[in-house]
Amino acid sequence: MASVKLTKVKKVYDNKVVAVHDFDLDIKDKEFIVFVGPSGCGKSTTLRMVAGLEDISGGTVEIDGEVVNDLQPKDRGIAMVFQNYALYPHMTVYDNIAFSLRLQKVPEDVIYEKVTNAAEILGITDYLMRKPRALSGGQRQRVAIGRAMVRNSKVFLMDEPLSNLDAKLRNQMRAEIILLRQKLDTTFIYVTHDQTEAMTLGDRIVIMKDGYIQQVGTPTEVFEMPKNLFVAEFIGAPKMNIMRTELVAEGGKYFVTPFGAKIEVDGEKGKALAAKGQKSAAIDLGVRPEHIVLAKQGEGIPCVLEVNEMMGSELHLHVYTEDGTRLIVRVPTIGLDPAERESLVQGKKLFVTFEGKVMHFFDTESGENLLND
Amino acid sequence: MNETLEKRSMGLRASRTISNTIIYVILIVMSVVWLIPFFCIVLQSFRIESTWQVGYVIPRQWGWDNYRALWNSDFKRWYLNTFIIALAVAALQTIIVLCMSYTLSRFRFKMRDGLMRFMLILGMFPGMLTMIILYRVLKDLGLTQANAVPGLILVYVASSGMGYYVSKGFFDTIPKSLDEAARVDGATRAQVLYKIILPLAKPIVIYTILTAFMAPWGDFVFAKYVSFGTSAGMNVAVGMWSWLQQDMIGQKYTMFCAGGVIVAIPVTILFMCLQKYYVEGVTGGAVKG
Amino acid sequence: MKKYSDLEFLRLSKGEKFLYKLTSFFAAIPRAIGRFFMKIALFFKNLGVGFGKELADLVMTFKNGDWKTRSSYLVMGFGSIARGQVLRGLMFLLFELVFIFYMIFAGAHWLSLLPSLGKIGPHEEYNAVLDAYTRVYGDNSFKILLYGVLTLFFIVAFIYTWRLNIQQNKLAEEYLKSGRRLKTGQDDLRSLVDEQFYKTLLALPLTGIMVFTVMPIVFMILVAFTNYDGAHDGYNNALFGWVGLDNFRTLLSWSGSGVNYSATFGEILTWTLIWAFFATFTNYFLGMFVAMMINKKGIKLKKVWRTILVMTIAIPQFISLLYVSKMFAKNGIVNGVLLDLGWIKQAIDFWGSQEHNALLPRVMVILINIWIGIPYLMLIATGILMNIPADLYESSRIDGANAWQQYTKITLPYMLFITGPYLLTSFTGNMNNFNVIFLLTGGAPTNAAASGASGSVGFTDLLITWLFKITTGAEAQYYLASVVGIMVFVVVAVISLVVYNVLPSIKNEEDFQ
Repeated sequence: MASVKLTKVKKVYDNKVVAVHDFDLDIKDKEFIVFVGPSGCGKSTTLRMVAGLEDISGGTVEIDGEVVNDLQPKDRGIAMVFQNYALYPHMTVYDNIAFSLRLQKVPEDVIYEKVTNAAEILGITDYLMRKPRALSGGQRQRVAIGRAMVRNSKVFLMDEPLSNLDAKLRNQMRAEIILLRQKLDTTFIYVTHDQTEAMTLGDRIVIMKDGYIQQVGTPTEVFEMPKNLFVAEFIGAPKMNIMRTELVAEGGKYFVTPFGAKIEVDGEKGKALAAKGQKSAAIDLGVRPEHIVLAKQGEGIPCVLEVNEMMGSELHLHVYTEDGTRLIVRVPTIGLDPAERESLVQGKKLFVTFEGKVMHFFDTESGENLLND
Repeated sequence: MNETLEKRSMGLRASRTISNTIIYVILIVMSVVWLIPFFCIVLQSFRIESTWQVGYVIPRQWGWDNYRALWNSDFKRWYLNTFIIALAVAALQTIIVLCMSYTLSRFRFKMRDGLMRFMLILGMFPGMLTMIILYRVLKDLGLTQANAVPGLILVYVASSGMGYYVSKGFFDTIPKSLDEAARVDGATRAQVLYKIILPLAKPIVIYTILTAFMAPWGDFVFAKYVSFGTSAGMNVAVGMWSWLQQDMIGQKYTMFCAGGVIVAIPVTILFMCLQKYYVEGVTGGAVKG
Repeated sequence: MKKYSDLEFLRLSKGEKFLYKLTSFFAAIPRAIGRFFMKIALFFKNLGVGFGKELADLVMTFKNGDWKTRSSYLVMGFGSIARGQVLRGLMFLLFELVFIFYMIFAGAHWLSLLPSLGKIGPHEEYNAVLDAYTRVYGDNSFKILLYGVLTLFFIVAFIYTWRLNIQQNKLAEEYLKSGRRLKTGQDDLRSLVDEQFYKTLLALPLTGIMVFTVMPIVFMILVAFTNYDGAHDGYNNALFGWVGLDNFRTLLSWSGSGVNYSATFGEILTWTLIWAFFATFTNYFLGMFVAMMINKKGIKLKKVWRTILVMTIAIPQFISLLYVSKMFAKNGIVNGVLLDLGWIKQAIDFWGSQEHNALLPRVMVILINIWIGIPYLMLIATGILMNIPADLYESSRIDGANAWQQYTKITLPYMLFITGPYLLTSFTGNMNNFNVIFLLTGGAPTNAAASGASGSVGFTDLLITWLFKITTGAEAQYYLASVVGIMVFVVVAVISLVVYNVLPSIKNEEDFQ
C-alpha cells in the first residue's frame, strides 16, 4: 500500500556496462505496473534494484516517500515472486510459506491462520505437507505467490513469474493474478518479456530497450499511439507491418503512396498531421495486420501470397510486395467465401489495402512517431 | 536377404558375448591385483613364527601375538594422537572451508577476484617449503616433539582455507535466487547461511568432514618434522614408518601389518558408509576444476 | 604465417588443416607470453596510476575536509568519534595505539637489525664467576628475519588502515552533506551478520592463511637470498646474512666449481616432469578405460567391481605404499613367490639398490602409482561419463559411428573438455607428489653421478623429495632448499600459464554446455 518513485536510477556493472540509464518513474499507490521488453533490456535489473538485490549505481528509489537505497531487501517492505519460484527445497510447502513469518517471530497460531488462509485462496491446502519437488509447475508457482502474500508487504514484485509454465497454464495463471490483485489491493511491479501479459495485466506498461525507457502508458495508449518503431513492433501480435514510403502533403490533405497505391490519411490522423504542419517526407509507415484488408483485383497494393497460416478464427496471410517487403494480413474466417478461402494458396497474386485512420507514421532516421508531442 | 540379416544379428550377439567375457576377465584380474596386498597384509599380521619379512604368504603358525605386541608398544599413543588430530581437524577444517567457499560463492566484494588469484598462486609454492619455518615457529611455541598434537592441528587447520574449490563448486550449483528469496523474506545473510544453504549443502559438508578426517591418518612428512623423533608426538604414519627402516624391520614387520589392519579398519568402514558423498564431492570437484 | 578465414580453412585438406592448427598453436605461444608480460606491465602501470590517484585524493581530502577530517590524519578515528561513530573510531584509535606501542618497544629494534640480520654472533666470553671462558649467545638471525618480516607486514597493514580511516572521513562528510544518516556502531555490528557477513566469515580463514602460508612463504623466499644452513643457523653456531643472488648463481650456472648443482637440478627436474607426465596420463586413460568397462551395458555386478576399487582409496596411503614397497623388496613376498614357483632363478631387485639400475625402479613407481590412482580416476570418470547426454551417442549411432569412433569423437573430447583444469592440477600435484616417491623408494637407488651436491640423490627423487633431503640432511642447506622451492614454483607457474592461455579447450568454455 505504497507509492514507489524511481528518480534517475542507474545501473552500471563493474565492467562499465550500463544496464539501466536514468530511469524515472512514478508508481502510484495500488497501481499495477508492468515492465516489458526483450531480454537484456534492463527490466529485471530495475526490479531487482527496487527489491534491493542489486546495488543502485545512481539515483534514488523511494518507497512510500522514504529513500530505500541503503536498506536491505528485508527492510524495504516488499514481497517478491521469482521466475524459477525459488522455493526452499528442504522445507514443506507450509514451512516455505511460514518462513518469513517465523523470521519475524510471529506466534505459531497466527502463522497457522495466515498460511492456511493463503493456501485456501490459492487452492493448495491439500499440498501443505509436501516438499516442493513433489509439486507441478503451476502448484509451485502458487506456493511462491503464497509465500509473498503472507508478508503483508507494501509492494509486490514479480519477476517473470509465468515464463516457466506451459502456454495453457500461463493463461490460467494470468487470470488468477488479476483476481489475486483484487484481493491483495496493493502496489504491483511485474516484469515480463511477453507483451500479451503486459497488455492484459498492467494498469500502465513501461516498455524498455537497451536500458532506456521507450514509452510509459496504459495498454490502450501504447497500442494506439506507439511513440516509436520499437514500441510499435513490440506491442501487438502478429507485429505491425512497416513499409518504407512517402508521405505527400497536397493541398491541405495528406497521402501515403505504398507500392504504387495512393491512400489518403483521413480522420484524426490527418488533422493531427496538419496541426503539426508536417511536410512531405520519406517515412516508415506502420499498419497493424488486422487493419489490412483484401482489396479488389487491381486496387491497392499488389503482392504475392507466400504462406497461409490457418489460426482457426482467422487466417494469417504472409505476403510479399514487389520490392520484397513482407507484410502480414489478418483475415477473419467468418464471412469468408469458402471458394475464396480455398484459392488462397502459395503464389497467388493478391491486392491489399487499408484505411487512412489506422496508419502510424515514423521518422525514417530516429524511428520516432511523427505525431509525438 | 533374410539369412544375411540373421547372420549379422547373430554376429552382433556373438561379438558382444566375447567382448563382455574379455571385460569380465579383466575386471576379475584387476580385483585380484587390487586386493592382494590387503589380503597379504591381513594374513601376515597373524603370522607368529617370525617377525621379519618372509617369501611366502600363508603363515605357518597363526596367532594374535602381533596385536598383543601392538597393545604393549607406543602404537597406542600414536593411534590416540592421530585420532585426536583427525577429530579436531575434521571439525575445525570443515568450519573454515565452509566459511571460505560459501563466501567466495555468494558474495561479490571488491577483493574477491584478487583473493582467488592470490590463493591460486600461493598454491603453486611447494608446501614443503613452509615447513622449515613452521617447524621453528612451533618449536618456539613449544608445540613440537612430545606436544606435536596441538601443533599439527594448528598447522593443518590454519591453511585449510585454501582448499575451498570443491565445496565452492557445490555452493555454486545452489540457485542464487534461494538466497534472494530468503533475504526478501526477511533473513539476514547469516540466517540465509544456516537456515537455507547449510541444510541444502549436506552432501558437501559430509564430504568435507570425511576428507578432513581421513587426511591426518596418511600425513607423513610434516608429522615427521614436528615429532622429530619423539615417539610420544608421532602419528601412526610416522611411527609405523620407523618400524620399516633397516634397523627395525627385522623385529617389527609383522607388527606393522597388524598396525596397518587396525588403522585401516575404522577409516575404511567410515569411508564405505559415506562413500556416496565422497563420490559426489570428488566428481563435482573434478568437473569444477 | 598466413591466416585463413573460416571458409578458406574448410577447403584445406586434412594434412593442411592439421599443419595449420599446429602452426597456429605454436604461433600463439609467443603471443600468449607477450600478453602475459603486457598484463604485468599494465598491472604495474595501473599500480602507479592508482598510487598517484591515492596520493592526490589524500591531499584533496585534507584540503577540502573539515577540522574533524583533518585531525584524523594524525589521530586515527578522531573524525568518526566526533561524528558519532564511536565504535569505528575507537577501533581505529586502538589500532593506532597498538601500532605505535609495538613500533617503539619491538618493531624498531627488529627493523634496525633486518639489513644485517644480526651483528653479534655467538662467541666466548670471560665469566668472572666461573673464572672461565663460556659461550655467550648474541643476536638470533632467524628471529630477526622473522620478526622483521612481521614488522613490515604490520607497517603495511597500518598504512592501509590509516588510508581507510581517511576514506571513512571523506565518505562520512559526503553522507552528511547529502542528508543521509551515518551508520551507528549498532548498525556496524548488525551488518557483520548481514551485508558485510563475508568479513566475519573470512576473518578466521584468511588470518590462518596469512600467518601459516603467506608469512612462511615470504620468509622462505627471503631465505633464498641468505646463507642460512646448518652451519649458519643464526644462533647456536653462527649468524647468517644476506648473500644476494649467489645461491641462484650456484644452482643455475653450469660451471660451478666442485659440485655441479645445475646438472643435478637439471637431471631431477627432467625426471620430475617425466614422472608427472606418466603419472597423470596413465592414470587418466586407464581410469577412464576401467570406468567405461564397468559402465558398459550388459556388465553385471557393477557395484561390486566399483566397491572393490573404491575400498582401496579408504586405506591410508602410507600403509599401502609402505607395504607394497616391502612386497617388492629383494626378500619380499613377490620375489619369494616367484622363486617358489620357479619362474625366476634369482631374486629381482625391483628397487635397484645394488646395480644402480635406474629404469626398473622408475617404471615400478609409475606402475604402483597406477595401482594407487586408478580407483580415484575411475570414480571421476564414472561421474562424468554418466553426465554425457545419451542422445549424443544415439545420434552418432544413427550417423553410423562405431564404438571406437564414438570414443574418439564424443567421449574423449567431452572428458578432456570437462577435466582440462583437473588434468592441470593433477599434473602439478604429481610434480609435488612426495608421498608416493618417499614411501615407495625414498628416492633410491642412489645416483652416484648426481650425488655429492647435497647428500645422496636418487634416481627416483623428485624435486620435492630432494628438497626434503636437503633440509633434513647433515648440512641442512635451507638456502638451497628455498632456491629449489622457488624453481618449483616457477616451473609450475609457467606450465599453468601456458596451459591456461594456449589450450583452446579451456578458452572455449561454452563448447559443451
